[in-house]
Amino acid sequence: MSSRRSRSRQSGSSRITEEQISDLVSKLQDLLPEARLQSNARVPSARVLQETCNYIRSLHREVDDLSERLSELLATSDMSSAQEAIIRSLLM
Amino acid sequence: MASSSPTGKRKREEEEEEQSPSSSKWRARRTEETYSSKLIQALRLVRAAAAAGTTTTTSSSTRSRDVRDAADRALAAAARGRSRWSRAILARRRTTLLRARLHHPVPIPMAGSSSSNQRHQQNHEEVEKAKVLGRLVPGCRKLPFPALLAEVSDYIAALEMQVRAMTALAQALSTASSSPS
Repeated sequence: MSSRRSRSRQSGSSRITEEQISDLVSKLQDLLPEARLQSNARVPSARVLQETCNYIRSLHREVDDLSERLSELLATSDMSSAQEAIIRSLLM
Repeated sequence: MASSSPTGKRKREEEEEEQSPSSSKWRARRTEETYSSKLIQALRLVRAAAAAGTTTTTSSSTRSRDVRDAADRALAAAARGRSRWSRAILARRRTTLLRARLHHPVPIPMAGSSSSNQRHQQNHEEVEKAKVLGRLVPGCRKLPFPALLAEVSDYIAALEMQVRAMTALAQALSTASSSPS
């Protein structure tokens, strides 16, 4: 076990380096909404991962709410005027 | 190299898209328009299916789940097969549950610190959180850490676009229904 770890410190041929990991984590941090994490501060990667999970979950919830809203609107809306509004919103 | 003609610019944009699944494409207006069109087509089908069946027995939760599925499928289609999560969504939806179980890939123990190929030092907490993340993104349970993070960035950008497009659509529909001209 220890020999494997010492090899990883020396080897340049390992595909996944710690630098790559922290680089990816910082990119992930940039994706998160800025209100939650200061983008300049160095945040521990576990925290970034947690915030990412929370963010994805909240996005899923938003999509679910929107799906519910859309399904209600679909049932009640008049299709022709809806189509006009849709085309108009796409052209904007 | 810089072409002022519209076809030249479009070609360059397409070439850029071909190179890598850059998450900035999810912020492009053209992507959102494409997605909105796909979504509308899918929603028309959902609406037609609901109308064809007995509307009294279709619960609102089933309808909203159909809408959610249509929205996810359209999102995965908009990704043009360049990300694992999008391929997972399309594969999941098309097959029945039984076939999905048969085609379930044999778990390859690559993720986590137990693998001998992982050279980086990950503490236990990070590994656990990465696992949770892998479960949240479709088709990414067994991915090694770097690939997982790449998928996550693309997935988040796509989800944000999905929210924007669906919000705009909901607003357009609610304006249309509230003010019939």
